[in-house]
Amino acid sequence: MLDTLLWWLTSPFDYAFMRRALAACVALSLTAPIIGVLLTLRGMSLMGEALSHAILPGVAVSFLLAGFSLPLMMLGGLVAGLATVGIASSISLISGLKEDAAMASLFLVAMATGVMVITLAGSPLDLGHVLFGSILTVNRNTLLLVAATASLILIALAMTFRALVVECLDPVFLTLQGRHAGWTHGLFMTLVVLSLVVGFQTLGTLMAAGLMLLPAAAARFWSQRLESMIAMAIGGALAASLAGLLVSYHAGLPSGPTIILLTGVGYVISLVAGPHHGLITRWRMPATDTAHGH
Amino acid sequence: MPEPQPARLALHDLQLAQGHRTVLQHVDGQFADGAITALVGANGAGKSTLIQGITGTLKPVAGRIACTIPKSRRAWLPQQLALDLSFPMSVEELIMIGTWPSHGALKGYCAAHYRRGREIMARLGISHLAHRPLGELSGGQRQRALIGRTLMQEAELLLLDEPFANVDAETVEVLIEVLRDMADAGATLLVVLHDMEQLTRLADEVVVLAGGHAHWTTAAAFREMSAAELIELTSPLKLPGVAAC
Repeated sequence: MLDTLLWWLTSPFDYAFMRRALAACVALSLTAPIIGVLLTLRGMSLMGEALSHAILPGVAVSFLLAGFSLPLMMLGGLVAGLATVGIASSISLISGLKEDAAMASLFLVAMATGVMVITLAGSPLDLGHVLFGSILTVNRNTLLLVAATASLILIALAMTFRALVVECLDPVFLTLQGRHAGWTHGLFMTLVVLSLVVGFQTLGTLMAAGLMLLPAAAARFWSQRLESMIAMAIGGALAASLAGLLVSYHAGLPSGPTIILLTGVGYVISLVAGPHHGLITRWRMPATDTAHGH
Repeated sequence: MPEPQPARLALHDLQLAQGHRTVLQHVDGQFADGAITALVGANGAGKSTLIQGITGTLKPVAGRIACTIPKSRRAWLPQQLALDLSFPMSVEELIMIGTWPSHGALKGYCAAHYRRGREIMARLGISHLAHRPLGELSGGQRQRALIGRTLMQEAELLLLDEPFANVDAETVEVLIEVLRDMADAGATLLVVLHDMEQLTRLADEVVVLAGGHAHWTTAAAFREMSAAELIELTSPLKLPGVAAC
């Protein structure tokens, strides 16, 4: 029995491609959920989702210009993502409307442009590969690139963490120190885009935001402390990645969607059983709710 | 006798606007060191606009704000509604943020910081709330935690936008005492106030904002003003020079 379990857990990683996939997932799981927690705290979860689609035209154009070169496709995605952020905040500045409305319009345009470019060019680039990723085809160079970028994001997060937190809670505090809150916001959005670009090779542009947002959203049901929320989000992402790879290997399922579905299962469990705002907790304390109601 | 030092916060021919609407113009004056200045005026007279100008969130259209207080010693107490109350942060963590400007945001806190944090919480009567999340505090408790952050920061300039709104009477007493101590220690305090009784107890000087202009007076003189004088001061049509603009 124990042997079977051990075999189930370890045998997939006899293959180098599975080990590389796991390493890429670990790199993603160590960075994306931190960004996700900060995004959810800012009430900007959907911005992260929208941005993940906005990188598509950049990837497509890079591919058309330079062929299948992952670094250049990532660079293209980064440029497209940052351009979307810049245009969205300019629109919001000029029109006085909220940034997310501009972002919602832009990401649809960007997404359509990306699909159009790929289709019109009749290119051999598999649209499915870009949209859904192909975690099992991560080669050594891709892995190095993913790990290096993830490390860069982690270092940048560590160095600016307090500023990012204060900018969430009380941006004027930063402005008073002579640090323009806009810079902090810009840096944060850059890290969001960078983190999505890292994710697109493995999970695809459609689902790169999944590992970022779902564990973060789930963690809010378990803790009211920032540090433990981040730790839980990372733990959840790691667990979903490992379990997702194992399940997809043994059951012959596509690995990216399996991982995201498992983070979704984690979210539903948290929603039901989480001690903070979870459904069971709410059902157990109807008295306080009605007390507020009257 | 040495020459009297100019105040550390002064406004020079300042003009501030919200969008295309000029809110304040030709504002000249200085805020005395070690004094509490109350900002009063009707809704829309420019109290919050002036605070925004001094915090740096609103760039002046013309003129300038001269402030020689080090940036790390500039603090503000936001209006309660401006904060996200569901933010996962405890009272102690909020207060410790006050060390960042001077200590740097990268270094960890040392034992002395925590000790000081505990002293501040004890003084504000919120020691028992140290690990309570901000979202579970009452309005008064939250205000004490926020003032704790400015104490941690050893603020020399403190801007307060309606600090007593939605706050219990006991907290008002604690805050008034703490603010008075800060002023006595030499800090410059600007407080947006509505309540005449609180103004009487707290303010040394008063800046009346009306008709796009600022009028400096002392708290004593402000109290002595008759209703007629007040109406004249706050009525834009009767202010000299305003009719032209």
